[in-house]
Amino acid sequence: MDLLGAALAIGLGAIGAGVGNGLIVSKTVEGIARQPELRGALQTTMFIGVGIVEVVPIIGVVLGFLIFFAS
Amino acid sequence: MYEFPVVHIGGIGFDLSSIIAITVSFVITLVLALFAVRNLSVDNPSKLQNFMEWVVEFVHNTIASTMPLEKAKRYISLGMTLIMFIFISNLLGLPFGIVTEVSESHHGPVTVAGLEIASADEVEKAHEDGKHLAYAWWKSPTADLSVTAGLASIVFVLVHYLGLTQNTRHYLKHYFKPYPIFFPINILETLTKPLTLALRLFANIFAGEVLISTILLLGVFGIPLLGIWQGFSIFVGAIQAFLFTILTMVYISQATVHEEGH
Repeated sequence: MDLLGAALAIGLGAIGAGVGNGLIVSKTVEGIARQPELRGALQTTMFIGVGIVEVVPIIGVVLGFLIFFAS
Repeated sequence: MYEFPVVHIGGIGFDLSSIIAITVSFVITLVLALFAVRNLSVDNPSKLQNFMEWVVEFVHNTIASTMPLEKAKRYISLGMTLIMFIFISNLLGLPFGIVTEVSESHHGPVTVAGLEIASADEVEKAHEDGKHLAYAWWKSPTADLSVTAGLASIVFVLVHYLGLTQNTRHYLKHYFKPYPIFFPINILETLTKPLTLALRLFANIFAGEVLISTILLLGVFGIPLLGIWQGFSIFVGAIQAFLFTILTMVYISQATVHEEGH
């Protein structure tokens, strides 16, 4: 059961991170396509957004590792 | 999985591998900074001087994107320290690792300079199970929650001290904006900011290192995968260092800049 919990934590976190990052990057690409001169600022904001969105899924991954290696 | 050599002195556990790693990272950052400012020249800059000037300009632009330009100059040294220290710390655990194993014939506690790492009972139990007690002596310092929590605490103290001293009325009033009923939510926000700063950096680097030890279990066939993963980890290390710095600057600007709109 422990291993199932760890797998669920990592898997569901991966879904959240994937969907979230996909939304961020797709909007950034759209913005760059509309205004190519803003590419630098949009890229920077994209990386900041990705970093913020990925916090909770990565915390889930670390908890999954802890459960996996403690069992 | 490897254990970390934790020494208990006076009830507090000191992780020896973290202490060694922080010292190495600090020495490397200091030497890099000192060498970059020797023999400064305007007409004929050395490559290191050129690189460091690029870093200064990058950090200055980063800070300027969050707060008005005349305030940005004060925080350049803070920004440069954070980004250089965190980036070098993130890279430290990638090239190699140092692991020592407790041999089968060893009985009694495992000690380092007279201080105990593992008690005699743990050694006996591991030998009964047939497992080797392996200790890792080298890792990225930021792969330890204590180190990242220390960095986040510094940022936390700095943000609130700067907010209180430079912008007192507006800093205290912003806890009750937009409506006084938001006060508990604002307090929660204030507490979660350093928490997420610490956890983000720790989780990213720790997960990277655990994956390195997992890939190593594949043996020879894992070498190309290890190369790819190490390259990606360099990228992640740079992004996390940049993110820590820019979020610090955003929090400082939220606390200190007198907003005109309200």
